Amino acid sequence: MTKDLQPDPSVIGGVPEAPFAFLPEPVALFTRRAGRFAFLAQTSRLAPYLTFLSDLSELQARLAKSGPAPVIAPEQLARAKAAQMPPVDRASLAADPALDQLLTRLCEGAARITMPEPARLALEAVTHADPGDRTWLLQNALSGEIPADSAAPHLFASAAVQIYLARLAASLDAGNLRKIGTGICPCCGGRPVSSLVTSTPGIESIRYGVCGLCATQWNEVRIHCLACGTNKGLTYRSAETTEATVKAECCRECHSWIKIFYQERNPSLDAVADDVGSIGLDMMMKETDLKRAGLNPYLTGY
Amino acid sequence: MNIDLSRRSFLRLSGAGVAATSLTAMGFSEAEAAEAAHVRDFKLATMTETRNICTYCSVACGIIMYSKGDLAAGEKAELIHIEGDADHPTNKGTLCPKGAALKDYVKAETRLTHPRIRRPGSDRFEEITWDEAFDKIARAVKDDRDANLIEKNAEGVQVNRLTTTGFLAASATTNETAWATWKVVRSLGLVGFDNQARV
Repeated sequence: MTKDLQPDPSVIGGVPEAPFAFLPEPVALFTRRAGRFAFLAQTSRLAPYLTFLSDLSELQARLAKSGPAPVIAPEQLARAKAAQMPPVDRASLAADPALDQLLTRLCEGAARITMPEPARLALEAVTHADPGDRTWLLQNALSGEIPADSAAPHLFASAAVQIYLARLAASLDAGNLRKIGTGICPCCGGRPVSSLVTSTPGIESIRYGVCGLCATQWNEVRIHCLACGTNKGLTYRSAETTEATVKAECCRECHSWIKIFYQERNPSLDAVADDVGSIGLDMMMKETDLKRAGLNPYLTGY
Repeated sequence: MNIDLSRRSFLRLSGAGVAATSLTAMGFSEAEAAEAAHVRDFKLATMTETRNICTYCSVACGIIMYSKGDLAAGEKAELIHIEGDADHPTNKGTLCPKGAALKDYVKAETRLTHPRIRRPGSDRFEEITWDEAFDKIARAVKDDRDANLIEKNAEGVQVNRLTTTGFLAASATTNETAWATWKVVRSLGLVGFDNQARV
Protein backbone atom coordinates (compact mmCIF):
# COMPACT_ATOMS: atom_id res chain seq x y z
CA MET A 1 0.00 0.00 0.00
CA THR A 2 2.96 2.29 0.41
CA LYS A 3 3.70 2.16 -3.33
CA ASP A 4 4.89 5.50 -4.63
CA LEU A 5 2.20 6.47 -7.11
CA GLN A 6 3.15 8.86 -9.85
CA PRO A 7 0.75 10.58 -12.24
CA ASP A 8 0.85 9.00 -15.70
CA PRO A 9 -1.22 10.99 -18.21
CA SER A 10 -0.16 8.67 -21.03
CA VAL A 11 -2.62 5.96 -19.94
CA ILE A 12 -5.57 8.20 -20.74
CA GLY A 13 -4.01 9.72 -23.86
CA GLY A 14 -4.17 6.66 -26.05
CA VAL A 15 -2.91 8.29 -29.24
CA PRO A 16 0.75 7.39 -29.80
CA GLU A 17 3.37 9.91 -30.86
CA ALA A 18 4.25 9.43 -34.53
CA PRO A 19 7.90 8.38 -34.94
CA PHE A 20 9.96 11.02 -36.74
CA ALA A 21 11.53 8.60 -39.19
CA PHE A 22 11.43 5.02 -40.44
CA LEU A 23 14.65 3.62 -41.83
CA PRO A 24 14.44 1.28 -44.81
CA GLU A 25 14.84 -2.48 -44.49
CA PRO A 26 16.53 -2.92 -47.87
CA VAL A 27 15.65 -6.55 -48.68
CA ALA A 28 12.02 -6.20 -47.63
CA LEU A 29 11.78 -2.82 -49.35
CA PHE A 30 12.97 -4.01 -52.77
CA THR A 31 11.10 -7.33 -52.52
CA ARG A 32 7.84 -5.53 -51.76
CA ARG A 33 8.52 -3.03 -54.52
CA ALA A 34 9.19 -5.82 -57.04
CA GLY A 35 5.87 -7.38 -56.07
CA ARG A 36 4.06 -4.08 -56.41
CA PHE A 37 5.58 -3.42 -59.87
CA ALA A 38 4.53 -6.93 -60.96
CA PHE A 39 1.02 -6.41 -59.60
CA LEU A 40 0.65 -3.06 -61.35
CA ALA A 41 1.92 -4.62 -64.58
CA GLN A 42 -1.08 -6.97 -64.65
CA THR A 43 -3.48 -4.20 -65.57
CA SER A 44 -1.37 -1.31 -66.84
CA ARG A 45 -0.75 -0.10 -70.38
CA LEU A 46 2.77 0.42 -69.07
CA ALA A 47 3.15 -3.32 -68.40
CA PRO A 48 6.43 -3.91 -70.29
CA TYR A 49 8.21 -1.15 -68.36
CA LEU A 50 6.67 -2.16 -65.01
CA THR A 51 7.68 -5.80 -65.57
CA PHE A 52 11.23 -4.69 -66.33
CA LEU A 53 11.30 -2.57 -63.15
CA SER A 54 9.88 -5.49 -61.16
CA ASP A 55 12.76 -7.66 -62.33
CA LEU A 56 15.21 -4.85 -61.57
CA SER A 57 13.77 -4.41 -58.04
CA GLU A 58 14.04 -8.15 -57.48
CA LEU A 59 17.69 -7.94 -58.47
CA GLN A 60 18.09 -5.03 -56.04
CA ALA A 61 16.60 -7.19 -53.27
CA ARG A 62 19.09 -9.99 -54.06
CA LEU A 63 22.04 -7.60 -54.09
CA ALA A 64 20.85 -5.94 -50.87
CA LYS A 65 21.59 -9.15 -48.97
CA SER A 66 24.84 -10.11 -50.69
CA GLY A 67 28.20 -8.94 -49.45
CA PRO A 68 28.98 -7.05 -46.26
CA ALA A 69 26.66 -4.15 -45.42
CA PRO A 70 28.35 -0.77 -45.85
CA VAL A 71 28.80 1.27 -42.68
CA ILE A 72 29.33 4.94 -41.96
CA ALA A 73 32.55 5.81 -40.18
CA PRO A 74 31.97 6.94 -36.56
CA GLU A 75 33.93 10.15 -37.18
CA GLN A 76 31.61 11.02 -40.10
CA LEU A 77 28.59 10.42 -37.83
CA ALA A 78 30.06 12.67 -35.14
CA ARG A 79 30.94 15.37 -37.65
CA ALA A 80 27.46 15.32 -39.20
CA LYS A 81 25.84 15.47 -35.77
CA ALA A 82 27.99 18.43 -34.70
CA ALA A 83 27.16 20.30 -37.90
CA GLN A 84 23.45 19.29 -37.80
CA MET A 85 23.85 17.68 -41.18
CA PRO A 86 22.41 14.37 -42.46
CA PRO A 87 24.66 11.45 -41.43
CA VAL A 88 25.07 10.10 -44.98
CA ASP A 89 27.44 12.23 -47.04
CA ARG A 90 26.35 11.36 -50.58
CA ALA A 91 28.94 13.48 -52.36
CA SER A 92 31.80 11.48 -50.86
CA LEU A 93 30.37 8.17 -52.09
CA ALA A 94 30.99 8.65 -55.84
CA ALA A 95 34.55 7.49 -55.35
CA ASP A 96 33.64 4.65 -52.97
CA PRO A 97 35.05 1.40 -54.45
CA ALA A 98 32.29 -0.63 -52.76
CA LEU A 99 29.62 1.33 -54.62
CA ASP A 100 31.50 0.88 -57.88
CA GLN A 101 31.65 -2.89 -57.27
CA LEU A 102 27.94 -2.91 -56.51
CA LEU A 103 27.28 -1.21 -59.86
CA THR A 104 29.36 -3.92 -61.56
CA ARG A 105 27.35 -6.67 -59.86
CA LEU A 106 24.09 -4.89 -60.73
CA CYS A 107 25.13 -4.72 -64.40
CA GLU A 108 25.99 -8.44 -64.38
CA GLY A 109 22.63 -9.30 -62.84
CA ALA A 110 20.68 -6.92 -65.07
CA ALA A 111 22.15 -8.57 -68.16
CA ARG A 112 19.85 -11.51 -67.46
CA ILE A 113 16.70 -9.32 -67.39
CA THR A 114 14.54 -9.06 -70.51
CA MET A 115 14.67 -5.52 -71.87
CA PRO A 116 14.36 -3.65 -75.17
CA GLU A 117 17.39 -2.99 -77.36
CA PRO A 118 17.97 0.66 -76.32
CA ALA A 119 18.01 -0.38 -72.64
CA ARG A 120 20.46 -3.21 -73.36
CA LEU A 121 22.71 -0.83 -75.28
CA ALA A 122 22.76 1.52 -72.29
CA LEU A 123 23.43 -1.36 -69.89
CA GLU A 124 26.36 -2.58 -71.97
CA ALA A 125 27.77 0.93 -72.13
CA VAL A 126 27.59 1.21 -68.33
CA THR A 127 29.12 -2.26 -67.93
CA HIS A 128 32.12 -1.34 -70.09
CA ALA A 129 32.39 2.32 -69.10
CA ASP A 130 35.83 3.55 -68.04
CA PRO A 131 36.28 4.57 -64.39
CA GLY A 132 35.84 8.27 -65.20
CA ASP A 133 32.48 7.73 -66.87
CA ARG A 134 31.29 5.43 -64.10
CA THR A 135 32.17 7.99 -61.44
CA TRP A 136 30.32 10.60 -63.48
CA LEU A 137 27.23 8.35 -63.65
CA LEU A 138 27.37 7.62 -59.93
CA GLN A 139 27.91 11.28 -59.07
CA ASN A 140 24.78 12.27 -60.98
CA ALA A 141 22.76 9.39 -59.55
CA LEU A 142 23.91 10.27 -56.02
CA SER A 143 23.05 13.93 -56.42
CA GLY A 144 19.68 13.16 -58.03
CA GLU A 145 20.59 15.44 -60.94
CA ILE A 146 20.18 13.22 -63.95
CA PRO A 147 21.05 14.79 -67.33
CA ALA A 148 18.00 14.88 -69.60
CA ASP A 149 19.88 13.34 -72.49
CA SER A 150 21.09 10.17 -70.79
CA ALA A 151 18.25 8.79 -68.69
CA ALA A 152 18.93 5.15 -69.60
CA PRO A 153 22.50 4.66 -68.32
CA HIS A 154 21.66 6.71 -65.23
CA LEU A 155 18.72 4.43 -64.49
CA PHE A 156 21.13 1.55 -63.88
CA ALA A 157 23.54 3.70 -61.88
CA SER A 158 20.62 4.96 -59.78
CA ALA A 159 19.42 1.42 -59.11
CA ALA A 160 22.84 0.63 -57.63
CA VAL A 161 22.86 3.87 -55.63
CA GLN A 162 19.41 3.04 -54.20
CA ILE A 163 20.68 -0.28 -52.84
CA TYR A 164 23.84 1.24 -51.41
CA LEU A 165 22.11 4.20 -49.73
CA ALA A 166 19.28 2.06 -48.36
CA ARG A 167 21.85 -0.28 -46.79
CA LEU A 168 23.78 2.66 -45.35
CA ALA A 169 20.56 4.14 -43.96
CA ALA A 170 19.59 0.78 -42.47
CA SER A 171 22.80 0.78 -40.42
CA LEU A 172 21.72 3.94 -38.57
CA ASP A 173 19.53 4.47 -35.52
CA ALA A 174 16.27 6.18 -36.47
CA GLY A 175 16.10 7.72 -33.00
CA ASN A 176 19.21 9.77 -33.73
CA LEU A 177 17.85 11.42 -36.88
CA ARG A 178 16.84 15.06 -36.61
CA LYS A 179 14.80 17.25 -38.90
CA ILE A 180 17.04 19.08 -41.38
CA GLY A 181 14.37 21.04 -43.22
CA THR A 182 11.07 20.62 -45.01
CA GLY A 183 11.38 18.23 -47.95
CA ILE A 184 14.91 17.17 -47.07
CA CYS A 185 15.75 13.59 -46.10
CA PRO A 186 17.13 13.58 -42.53
CA CYS A 187 19.27 10.58 -43.40
CA CYS A 188 21.01 11.52 -46.67
CA GLY A 189 19.79 15.04 -47.46
CA GLY A 190 18.04 13.80 -50.60
CA ARG A 191 14.79 14.99 -52.11
CA PRO A 192 11.59 13.00 -51.72
CA VAL A 193 10.17 10.87 -54.54
CA SER A 194 6.64 11.34 -53.17
CA SER A 195 4.90 11.31 -49.82
CA LEU A 196 2.61 8.77 -48.16
CA VAL A 197 -0.34 9.48 -45.90
CA THR A 198 -0.04 6.42 -43.73
CA SER A 199 -2.72 4.02 -42.58
CA THR A 200 -0.47 2.39 -39.96
CA PRO A 201 -2.61 1.80 -36.85
CA GLY A 202 -2.06 4.52 -34.26
CA ILE A 203 -0.51 6.99 -36.67
CA GLU A 204 -3.25 7.12 -39.31
CA SER A 205 -3.32 10.20 -41.54
CA ILE A 206 0.25 11.21 -40.64
CA ARG A 207 2.27 12.06 -43.73
CA TYR A 208 5.76 10.72 -44.42
CA GLY A 209 8.07 11.95 -47.13
CA VAL A 210 9.93 9.11 -48.85
CA CYS A 211 13.52 9.77 -49.91
CA GLY A 212 14.05 9.20 -53.64
CA LEU A 213 17.60 8.06 -52.92
CA CYS A 214 17.88 6.14 -49.62
CA ALA A 215 14.15 5.33 -49.10
CA THR A 216 14.10 6.67 -45.54
CA GLN A 217 10.62 7.87 -44.57
CA TRP A 218 10.29 10.94 -42.40
CA ASN A 219 7.41 12.84 -40.91
CA GLU A 220 6.26 15.90 -42.81
CA VAL A 221 3.37 18.03 -41.61
CA ARG A 222 0.56 17.82 -44.16
CA ILE A 223 -0.49 20.71 -46.40
CA HIS A 224 3.08 21.93 -46.74
CA CYS A 225 4.92 22.03 -50.07
CA LEU A 226 7.80 19.54 -49.95
CA ALA A 227 9.71 21.60 -52.50
CA CYS A 228 9.65 25.02 -50.80
CA GLY A 229 8.06 24.45 -47.39
CA THR A 230 5.18 26.91 -47.75
CA ASN A 231 1.66 26.13 -46.54
CA LYS A 232 0.07 28.80 -48.72
CA GLY A 233 -2.03 28.12 -51.77
CA LEU A 234 -1.65 24.35 -51.99
CA THR A 235 -4.11 22.39 -54.08
CA TYR A 236 -4.48 18.68 -54.72
CA ARG A 237 -5.11 17.60 -58.27
CA SER A 238 -6.02 14.16 -59.47
CA ALA A 239 -7.26 12.50 -62.61
CA GLU A 240 -11.02 12.91 -63.04
CA THR A 241 -12.08 12.27 -59.43
CA THR A 242 -11.18 13.88 -56.10
CA GLU A 243 -11.49 10.41 -54.53
CA ALA A 244 -8.16 9.34 -56.06
CA THR A 245 -5.51 7.45 -54.08
CA VAL A 246 -2.78 9.52 -55.70
CA LYS A 247 -2.84 13.27 -56.03
CA ALA A 248 -0.50 15.98 -57.20
CA GLU A 249 0.23 18.36 -54.32
CA CYS A 250 0.58 21.62 -56.24
CA CYS A 251 2.28 24.73 -54.94
CA ARG A 252 1.49 28.20 -56.23
CA GLU A 253 4.48 29.72 -54.47
CA CYS A 254 7.26 27.72 -56.13
CA HIS A 255 5.29 26.38 -59.13
CA SER A 256 6.08 22.76 -58.52
CA TRP A 257 4.16 19.64 -57.60
CA ILE A 258 4.82 16.30 -55.97
CA LYS A 259 2.73 13.17 -55.63
CA ILE A 260 0.98 12.29 -52.40
CA PHE A 261 -0.36 8.76 -51.89
CA TYR A 262 -3.24 8.00 -49.54
CA GLN A 263 -2.47 4.63 -47.99
CA GLU A 264 -5.68 4.87 -45.96
CA ARG A 265 -7.43 4.14 -49.25
CA ASN A 266 -4.92 1.49 -50.30
CA PRO A 267 -2.20 0.29 -47.91
CA SER A 268 -0.26 -1.46 -50.72
CA LEU A 269 0.80 1.81 -52.36
CA ASP A 270 4.57 2.04 -52.84
CA ALA A 271 6.24 5.43 -53.06
CA VAL A 272 8.32 4.45 -56.11
CA ALA A 273 6.36 1.69 -57.89
CA ASP A 274 3.07 3.55 -57.76
CA ASP A 275 4.85 6.73 -58.79
CA VAL A 276 5.75 4.99 -62.06
CA GLY A 277 2.37 3.27 -62.21
CA SER A 278 0.56 6.62 -61.99
CA ILE A 279 2.57 8.15 -64.84
CA GLY A 280 -0.75 9.24 -66.35
CA LEU A 281 -0.92 11.95 -63.70
CA ASP A 282 2.57 13.10 -64.70
CA MET A 283 1.43 13.31 -68.31
CA MET A 284 -1.55 15.42 -67.30
CA MET A 285 0.51 17.64 -65.01
CA LYS A 286 3.03 18.18 -67.81
CA GLU A 287 0.30 20.20 -69.56
CA THR A 288 0.19 22.66 -66.64
CA ASP A 289 2.77 25.33 -65.85
CA LEU A 290 3.98 23.42 -62.79
CA LYS A 291 7.13 21.31 -62.74
CA ARG A 292 7.56 17.95 -61.08
CA ALA A 293 9.55 18.05 -57.83
CA GLY A 294 9.52 14.32 -57.01
CA LEU A 295 12.85 12.61 -57.57
CA ASN A 296 12.54 9.27 -59.35
CA PRO A 297 15.29 8.01 -61.68
CA TYR A 298 12.69 5.75 -63.36
CA LEU A 299 10.75 8.82 -64.47
CA THR A 300 13.49 11.14 -65.71
CA GLY A 301 12.11 13.70 -68.13
CA TYR A 302 8.77 14.17 -66.36
CA MET B 1 23.39 20.81 -69.22
CA ASN B 2 26.96 21.33 -70.32
CA ILE B 3 28.26 17.98 -71.45
CA ASP B 4 31.90 17.27 -70.93
CA LEU B 5 33.68 16.43 -74.22
CA SER B 6 35.07 13.21 -72.77
CA ARG B 7 31.53 11.99 -72.13
CA ARG B 8 30.70 12.06 -75.83
CA SER B 9 31.95 8.59 -76.67
CA PHE B 10 30.23 7.09 -73.65
CA LEU B 11 26.95 8.78 -74.53
CA ARG B 12 27.24 7.56 -78.13
CA LEU B 13 27.86 3.99 -76.96
CA SER B 14 24.95 4.09 -74.52
CA GLY B 15 22.58 5.28 -77.22
CA ALA B 16 22.07 8.55 -75.34
CA GLY B 17 22.56 12.09 -76.58
CA VAL B 18 19.10 13.57 -77.02
CA ALA B 19 16.76 14.61 -74.27
CA ALA B 20 14.23 11.84 -73.67
CA THR B 21 12.16 10.43 -70.85
CA SER B 22 13.30 7.29 -69.04
CA LEU B 23 10.70 5.27 -70.93
CA THR B 24 11.72 6.47 -74.37
CA ALA B 25 15.43 6.17 -73.60
CA MET B 26 14.93 2.61 -72.37
CA GLY B 27 12.90 1.60 -75.43
CA PHE B 28 9.43 1.55 -73.86
CA SER B 29 8.03 4.42 -75.91
CA GLU B 30 5.14 2.29 -77.23
CA ALA B 31 3.81 1.70 -73.71
CA GLU B 32 4.38 5.36 -72.91
CA ALA B 33 2.38 6.43 -75.96
CA ALA B 34 -0.45 4.04 -75.06
CA GLU B 35 -0.71 5.56 -71.59
CA ALA B 36 -0.56 9.09 -73.01
CA ALA B 37 -3.42 8.26 -75.38
CA HIS B 38 -5.40 6.82 -72.48
CA VAL B 39 -5.18 9.94 -70.31
CA ARG B 40 -5.60 12.44 -73.15
CA ASP B 41 -9.29 13.06 -72.48
CA PHE B 42 -9.00 13.03 -68.70
CA LYS B 43 -9.44 16.21 -66.75
CA LEU B 44 -7.71 17.21 -63.55
CA ALA B 45 -10.03 17.47 -60.57
CA THR B 46 -8.91 19.89 -57.89
CA MET B 47 -9.30 19.56 -54.17
CA THR B 48 -8.15 21.94 -51.45
CA GLU B 49 -7.24 20.92 -47.93
CA THR B 50 -7.54 23.70 -45.37
CA ARG B 51 -6.37 23.67 -41.77
CA ASN B 52 -8.67 25.19 -39.19
CA ILE B 53 -9.71 24.97 -35.55
CA CYS B 54 -12.94 23.33 -34.46
CA THR B 55 -15.57 25.97 -33.57
CA TYR B 56 -17.09 24.15 -30.63
CA CYS B 57 -15.04 24.50 -27.49
CA SER B 58 -11.91 25.90 -25.96
CA VAL B 59 -9.93 22.66 -26.39
CA ALA B 60 -9.37 24.03 -29.91
CA CYS B 61 -8.82 20.78 -31.83
CA GLY B 62 -7.13 21.01 -35.20
CA ILE B 63 -9.21 20.01 -38.20
CA ILE B 64 -8.60 19.56 -41.92
CA MET B 65 -11.40 20.65 -44.20
CA TYR B 66 -11.55 19.11 -47.66
CA SER B 67 -13.29 21.00 -50.41
CA LYS B 68 -13.83 20.33 -54.08
CA GLY B 69 -12.71 23.15 -56.33
CA ASP B 70 -10.06 25.82 -55.93
CA LEU B 71 -11.37 29.09 -54.48
CA ALA B 72 -8.05 30.88 -55.04
CA ALA B 73 -8.21 30.09 -58.76
CA GLY B 74 -11.66 31.64 -59.03
CA GLU B 75 -13.53 28.35 -58.87
CA LYS B 76 -16.41 27.64 -56.53
CA ALA B 77 -15.36 25.42 -53.64
CA GLU B 78 -17.67 22.95 -51.98
CA LEU B 79 -16.92 21.49 -48.57
CA ILE B 80 -17.06 17.70 -48.77
CA HIS B 81 -15.32 16.37 -45.67
CA ILE B 82 -13.90 17.41 -42.31
CA GLU B 83 -11.57 15.30 -40.21
CA GLY B 84 -9.24 15.70 -37.23
CA ASP B 85 -5.78 17.05 -38.04
CA ALA B 86 -3.35 14.22 -37.24
CA ASP B 87 -0.46 16.74 -37.05
CA HIS B 88 -2.19 18.88 -34.43
CA PRO B 89 -0.59 18.49 -30.97
CA THR B 90 -3.90 18.94 -29.10
CA ASN B 91 -6.03 16.23 -30.66
CA LYS B 92 -3.61 14.25 -32.91
CA GLY B 93 -6.33 13.56 -35.44
CA THR B 94 -9.05 12.67 -32.97
CA LEU B 95 -12.38 14.49 -32.65
CA CYS B 96 -15.22 14.29 -30.15
CA PRO B 97 -18.71 13.40 -31.45
CA LYS B 98 -19.57 17.07 -31.90
CA GLY B 99 -16.37 17.73 -33.81
CA ALA B 100 -16.84 14.60 -35.90
CA ALA B 101 -20.22 15.98 -37.02
CA LEU B 102 -18.83 19.36 -38.06
CA LYS B 103 -19.66 18.94 -41.73
CA ASP B 104 -23.33 18.49 -40.89
CA TYR B 105 -23.11 21.63 -38.79
CA VAL B 106 -21.78 23.56 -41.82
CA LYS B 107 -24.34 22.02 -44.17
CA ALA B 108 -27.30 22.08 -41.77
CA GLU B 109 -30.45 23.55 -43.30
CA THR B 110 -31.25 25.07 -39.92
CA ARG B 111 -27.85 26.71 -39.62
CA LEU B 112 -28.13 30.32 -38.49
CA THR B 113 -26.66 32.52 -41.22
CA HIS B 114 -28.55 35.79 -40.57
CA PRO B 115 -29.71 37.57 -37.42
CA ARG B 116 -33.32 36.63 -36.66
CA ILE B 117 -35.93 37.87 -34.23
CA ARG B 118 -39.06 36.46 -32.66
CA ARG B 119 -41.16 39.50 -31.86
CA PRO B 120 -43.42 39.65 -28.81
CA GLY B 121 -46.59 37.70 -29.48
CA SER B 122 -45.24 36.11 -32.65
CA ASP B 123 -44.91 32.34 -33.10
CA ARG B 124 -42.04 32.43 -35.57
CA PHE B 125 -38.60 33.91 -36.19
CA GLU B 126 -38.09 36.45 -38.96
CA GLU B 127 -34.84 37.63 -40.57
CA ILE B 128 -33.62 41.12 -39.82
CA THR B 129 -30.55 43.06 -40.92
CA TRP B 130 -27.44 43.35 -38.78
CA ASP B 131 -28.12 47.10 -38.35
CA GLU B 132 -31.59 46.39 -37.03
CA ALA B 133 -30.27 43.68 -34.75
CA PHE B 134 -27.53 45.88 -33.31
CA ASP B 135 -29.98 48.72 -32.77
CA LYS B 136 -32.36 46.43 -30.89
CA ILE B 137 -29.59 44.95 -28.74
CA ALA B 138 -28.17 48.39 -27.95
CA ARG B 139 -31.64 49.69 -27.07
CA ALA B 140 -32.39 46.74 -24.78
CA VAL B 141 -29.02 46.94 -23.01
CA LYS B 142 -29.30 50.72 -22.61
CA ASP B 143 -32.85 50.51 -21.21
CA ASP B 144 -31.88 47.77 -18.78
CA ARG B 145 -28.76 49.63 -17.71
CA ASP B 146 -30.64 52.89 -17.18
CA ALA B 147 -33.17 51.10 -15.00
CA ASN B 148 -31.05 48.62 -13.08
CA LEU B 149 -27.40 49.76 -12.86
CA ILE B 150 -26.14 49.48 -9.29
CA GLU B 151 -23.80 52.42 -8.89
CA LYS B 152 -22.88 52.08 -5.22
CA ASN B 153 -22.80 49.15 -2.83
CA ALA B 154 -24.07 49.14 0.78
CA GLU B 155 -20.86 50.81 1.98
CA GLY B 156 -21.28 53.59 -0.55
CA VAL B 157 -18.35 52.44 -2.73
CA GLN B 158 -18.67 53.08 -6.46
CA VAL B 159 -19.18 49.64 -8.14
CA ASN B 160 -21.21 50.20 -11.36
CA ARG B 161 -22.66 46.67 -11.49
CA LEU B 162 -25.22 45.56 -14.05
CA THR B 163 -26.53 42.25 -12.77
CA THR B 164 -29.73 42.00 -14.81
CA THR B 165 -28.05 41.28 -18.17
CA GLY B 166 -25.76 38.35 -18.91
CA PHE B 167 -23.36 37.79 -21.77
CA LEU B 168 -22.23 34.51 -23.30
CA ALA B 169 -19.37 34.82 -25.81
CA ALA B 170 -17.98 32.14 -28.11
CA SER B 171 -15.10 29.84 -27.24
CA ALA B 172 -13.44 29.54 -30.61
CA THR B 173 -11.97 32.99 -30.69
CA THR B 174 -8.50 34.40 -30.81
CA ASN B 175 -6.90 36.08 -27.80
CA GLU B 176 -7.49 39.43 -29.49
CA THR B 177 -11.22 38.77 -29.92
CA ALA B 178 -11.46 37.61 -26.33
CA TRP B 179 -9.71 40.80 -25.17
CA ALA B 180 -12.05 43.04 -27.16
CA THR B 181 -15.09 41.10 -25.90
CA TRP B 182 -13.91 41.51 -22.31
CA LYS B 183 -13.43 45.27 -22.74
CA VAL B 184 -16.90 45.82 -24.24
CA VAL B 185 -18.73 43.64 -21.73
CA ARG B 186 -16.97 44.88 -18.60
CA SER B 187 -17.25 48.53 -19.66
CA LEU B 188 -21.03 48.11 -19.51
CA GLY B 189 -20.71 46.83 -15.97
CA LEU B 190 -21.90 43.32 -16.85
CA VAL B 191 -20.88 40.77 -14.25
CA GLY B 192 -22.67 37.71 -15.61
CA PHE B 193 -20.15 37.00 -18.35
CA ASP B 194 -18.67 33.78 -19.69
CA ASN B 195 -16.39 33.23 -22.63
CA GLN B 196 -17.57 29.63 -22.73
CA ALA B 197 -14.01 28.64 -22.03
CA ARG B 198 -14.93 25.14 -21.03
CA VAL B 199 -16.31 22.01 -22.67
